[in-house]
Amino acid sequence: MANATPPRDPYEDKLDNLTDADIAVILAELRRRLKAPEIAAAHTCIRCGLCADACHYYLTNGELEDVPAHKLNLVLAVIKHHFTPGGRLAGGWVGARKLDRAMVREWVDALFGRCSGCGRCTMNCTSGINIHGLIRAARGALAAAGLVPPELQSTVMMAVERGNNMGIPRDEWLETLAWIEEELRTETGDPEARIPVDAKGARLLYTVNPREPKFFPLSLLAAAKMFYAAGESWTFSSDHYDVTNYGLYSGDDAHAGLMSDRLVKAKEDLGAEVLVLGECGHGFGSTRWEAPQWLNKRFPFPVKSVLEVAADYLRQGRIRLDPSKNRKPVTLHDPCNLVRLGGVVEEQRLLLTSAVEDFREMTPNRQKNYCCGGGGGQLAMTRFAKRRLSAGRLKADQIRATGAKIVVAPCHNCIDQLIELNKEYKLGTEVKTVIEVVADAIVLPPRPA
Amino acid sequence: MGSLGTLHVLTLAAAGFCLAALTFLIGRTYAFGRRDYLSAPRGYAGRGLVYAFGKGMVDKESVSRHKPTMLGGVVYHLSIFAALAYVLWIALPIRLSPPPGVFRPVFLVGAAVGLTLLAKRALKPHLRRLSCPDDFFANLFVDLFLVLSLLHTFRPALEAALMVVSILLFIYIPLGKIRHCFFFFYTRLVFGLHFGRRGALPGSGLKV
Repeated sequence: MANATPPRDPYEDKLDNLTDADIAVILAELRRRLKAPEIAAAHTCIRCGLCADACHYYLTNGELEDVPAHKLNLVLAVIKHHFTPGGRLAGGWVGARKLDRAMVREWVDALFGRCSGCGRCTMNCTSGINIHGLIRAARGALAAAGLVPPELQSTVMMAVERGNNMGIPRDEWLETLAWIEEELRTETGDPEARIPVDAKGARLLYTVNPREPKFFPLSLLAAAKMFYAAGESWTFSSDHYDVTNYGLYSGDDAHAGLMSDRLVKAKEDLGAEVLVLGECGHGFGSTRWEAPQWLNKRFPFPVKSVLEVAADYLRQGRIRLDPSKNRKPVTLHDPCNLVRLGGVVEEQRLLLTSAVEDFREMTPNRQKNYCCGGGGGQLAMTRFAKRRLSAGRLKADQIRATGAKIVVAPCHNCIDQLIELNKEYKLGTEVKTVIEVVADAIVLPPRPA
Repeated sequence: MGSLGTLHVLTLAAAGFCLAALTFLIGRTYAFGRRDYLSAPRGYAGRGLVYAFGKGMVDKESVSRHKPTMLGGVVYHLSIFAALAYVLWIALPIRLSPPPGVFRPVFLVGAAVGLTLLAKRALKPHLRRLSCPDDFFANLFVDLFLVLSLLHTFRPALEAALMVVSILLFIYIPLGKIRHCFFFFYTRLVFGLHFGRRGALPGSGLKV
């Protein structure tokens, strides 16, 4: 019997058969994204290589291709060649390179396959070059030519076409909420406890990662319990509740903007005052920081992480926490898009130090945390899964060093990666969200007689 | 005007060209447009700037894990600026000569560090592969400039050679990687503003 030839990967075929028109599309999109800071970066990077030790890929694999300066200079080389006079006149001398098929392949491997967009290199760059921002710009240029790895692109398109990245039908979402509402009533002992859906005029519109209704419904229950305890006026939208935005990772601003705009419109339709983003690092980065750029408008309303809302409850005495309800040692993972790139740093610490008896920081932490390896669309891009798990070793080592039995991460992407790291590196820990831990510690207010 | 006087004028002209070319480059860079921030801030851009040019210069692993390199880099750059000042001092019609005893140790250390950094770039495989010809040339060129400046403090007769190298260096600055001496500050400024307004840099966020 003849050996069957394995089918060719259509993505590889596409990379092999790039046309001049494809290259022109990539360059046009790259040019569109270049502003003064990106051009200045081409004049600023001195290739000192000191960023190498900031990257979890380099620290675990040690390959030149993992050095952030190498990844950055793949992009800068093209910028120099095509958009600066020096690069055009003295290309090889200043490290400029023409964008051709080989370079596109290098871009795909390095920019999609060796970067989680965590921004740790940016913070550690001697000059402060926005390395991850330039990498995203180049990803966006590849996206314009349809060159996003298909697994990542399909996640984007699922959200665009079905309203959420898990493709959860509306009925299933509503059924899940009805079930969680029953659970909330049991948990609170209040037959009137509700999970509001499409409640017009509610103060908060709450959005979540679709993995919550699909795989982690207790996260929904935890948030509902907290809102109940705080006496909050809140609601879900029956249609647009997906806080994730894989357009941030694919670099596709048009689709990213479309997804963010749905949340904005849902908030406006329901007349909510505040758009509250559930525990999702990149979802926060997308809607809080990037969406106004994608949509080219200022938002005349606050966009907040649920951690900020919960910290406000605690400060205002709207919720009471009993740390004795969480006795196991707990450590905290800082999601890159929320903390290093997002600025939400202390709220989760305020909550956890009030909600658990034994809180242990990882080293390093806060803005200096190591990426878990799950960001940048890496969880979706199965073709790079081996690298992702290998790069996660640093995070596994950090967790192990704390001796914690529970790892808390305010991000469902990170949680998925941490669950995989837990198995891969036999950490023996539970993985939870911040609000789940807070909900466990909540002292429910006495019910009115 | 003697030949030395002509070289002085040419040195000043080259310095003027350098400044003009850098200004032109900055203009071209700005022509790409700036990015307006449309999201509401949750931190302080000003504090971000203070961090970027203050504690943020050293509060990073590229410093803590590479102390000798970073210290060397700082000394190297200071000595280059000192040498540029030294050359301009000589070229300008100032009666008082620069005190060689002050500049000599600076140039000596600067040249030694520069050559060490060059050796590091050449010998470390990843760094070598990361580099382009300009990286080696610029380093070598500046080292030559520092060595000549050092020698000039001992032998003023080398002034013509120093002026010629200075003229070539001033012309090369805007053409090669040495232009980073200007763009570094702009990039650092953008870094501080961008992450400061997000409250993502230490000390730039809202009080919790």
